[in-house]
Amino acid sequence: MATRVLSQKEEDIQMMLSAAVHLGARNCDFQMERYVYKRRSDGVHIINLGKTWEKLQLAARVIVAIENPQDIIVQSARPYGQRAVLNFAQYTGAYSIAGRHTPGTFTNQLQTSFSEPRLLILTDPRTDHQPIKESALGNIPTIAFCDTDSPMRYVDIGIPANNKGKLSIGCLFWLLARMVLQMRGTIPLGRKWEVMVDLFFYRDPEEAKEQEEEEAPVAPDYGAMVPNDQWTTEQWMPDGGAVSAVEPPVTGVESTAGQAPVGAERWDAAAAPPMVAGAVAPGVPPVAAPSGWE
Amino acid sequence: MAERGGGDRGGFGRGFGRGRGERGRGRGDRGRGGRRGFGRRDEEEKWVPVTKLGRLVKEGKITSLEQIYLHSLPVKEHQIIDTLLGGGLKDEVMKIMPVQKQTRAGQRTRFKAFVVVGDTNGHVGLGVKCAKEVATAIRGAIILAKLSVIPVRRGYWGNKIGKPHTVPCKITGKCGSVTVRMVPAPRGAGIVAARVPKKVLQFAGIEDVFTSSRGSTKTLGNFVKATFDCLMKTYGFLTPDFWTETRYSRSPFQEYTDLLAKPTKAILVDNTETAEA
Repeated sequence: MATRVLSQKEEDIQMMLSAAVHLGARNCDFQMERYVYKRRSDGVHIINLGKTWEKLQLAARVIVAIENPQDIIVQSARPYGQRAVLNFAQYTGAYSIAGRHTPGTFTNQLQTSFSEPRLLILTDPRTDHQPIKESALGNIPTIAFCDTDSPMRYVDIGIPANNKGKLSIGCLFWLLARMVLQMRGTIPLGRKWEVMVDLFFYRDPEEAKEQEEEEAPVAPDYGAMVPNDQWTTEQWMPDGGAVSAVEPPVTGVESTAGQAPVGAERWDAAAAPPMVAGAVAPGVPPVAAPSGWE
Repeated sequence: MAERGGGDRGGFGRGFGRGRGERGRGRGDRGRGGRRGFGRRDEEEKWVPVTKLGRLVKEGKITSLEQIYLHSLPVKEHQIIDTLLGGGLKDEVMKIMPVQKQTRAGQRTRFKAFVVVGDTNGHVGLGVKCAKEVATAIRGAIILAKLSVIPVRRGYWGNKIGKPHTVPCKITGKCGSVTVRMVPAPRGAGIVAARVPKKVLQFAGIEDVFTSSRGSTKTLGNFVKATFDCLMKTYGFLTPDFWTETRYSRSPFQEYTDLLAKPTKAILVDNTETAEA
């Protein structure tokens, strides 16, 4: 255990270790062999996280090189990655596609959802194979999180990582987003990013419901306000709520928070983060509350 | 003789008869040349580009096909080729072939049109389209031909005087069983080839060439595709003049990213609001 101050890279790697990013699959694709450190006795391959970090940096540089962030598309067909992908897109300014990728979105110019991205980021080359095939036809470079058994065909930058666990996927997207924002200069280097990793983790629907129930009894305590009223009286919006349990959010955040909820019918997870910056009750993931506001 | 019997399986002979009749008409078409003037003018006026490349071409940022070839950009709108090659592009219907499918109520005939498009100066395109009516098939084939326009590399037989006039080296193309081999020829030799590949080579802008073919060249579809494949390979052949290192240039999508970022009035699909699963 290092007691000295850890560098950014070492801290990140510590986080990745706790998220089990280093645990690969039982099989190993020959092109992923260079990223594997060792194979454990129970067959699981251990990924060299130093290399993962380097690849993440490389990917971040490529993302930053794209002048218009809206030309980047982040995708995840699998549920574990969908929340992460949405949040990543929100913070970096990219577009996200969560869920089914309609075949032909990159190739069929007559489709309404036709788009020609400059870059594609995927969570898993195996489940997201359709966008990979299409990007090959459309000259679109592809970045993907590859597990040790992932096919690397048509993947231009493969980031070796565990793409099976929800903690792992969330952690990776969080790291990537933070790197991109640091490189762009939006976040200063060295300081912690206020957005928490937990935001990027996948939440089971049951888990979400539990949080709602936790929040519900808490809400009435704060001035006993019925949620519906809050929608109309904007000033009360940020204060009277289960979201920020302890202290009211920073003033700068209030205005944005005030406008967003009134307009939104579906309380997107994406809109929540600004309100919760830093002020979160320990056991409660910040985004849980909004869904209870319906 | 062109009656359609009700569900008659022996319609093959009759089909043949009709086929022969159609082919005669096809030849007539060819003789007339491929210009269909009516209706074209309306389409030309209002082109709303859908692809990024289309937008750039319409704005005039991309001035030549070569820029598109350099970055291997897929061309999806035929108006792109129209704008860039414009008037020089001529088209010719090589053949109208009736093809049939058997249904319980007789045969269902459709017409397959083979169209070659070219500017006799280094660009050719080949389009094949099948449709229920001849005119539709021809129109469709012309569009497909424009989308498939390819650059043709020309070279010298010996003595690099004047403009390149023949193929740069011996090349061969294959489609189905048909292989077409093209061999550089001295000036004045002309295109020494069968009627079908001769047309294609004329459109390509090759003045002299010796050819040799093998396989069932009767099948015009394969024959014409084989010569097209052969012409595609002219730029695929690595000769010493390509030995210098490539100087990479920015793709037009990167260069004009600001222009492309401006929204067109039609669509801006916002994917960030998609609901969580």
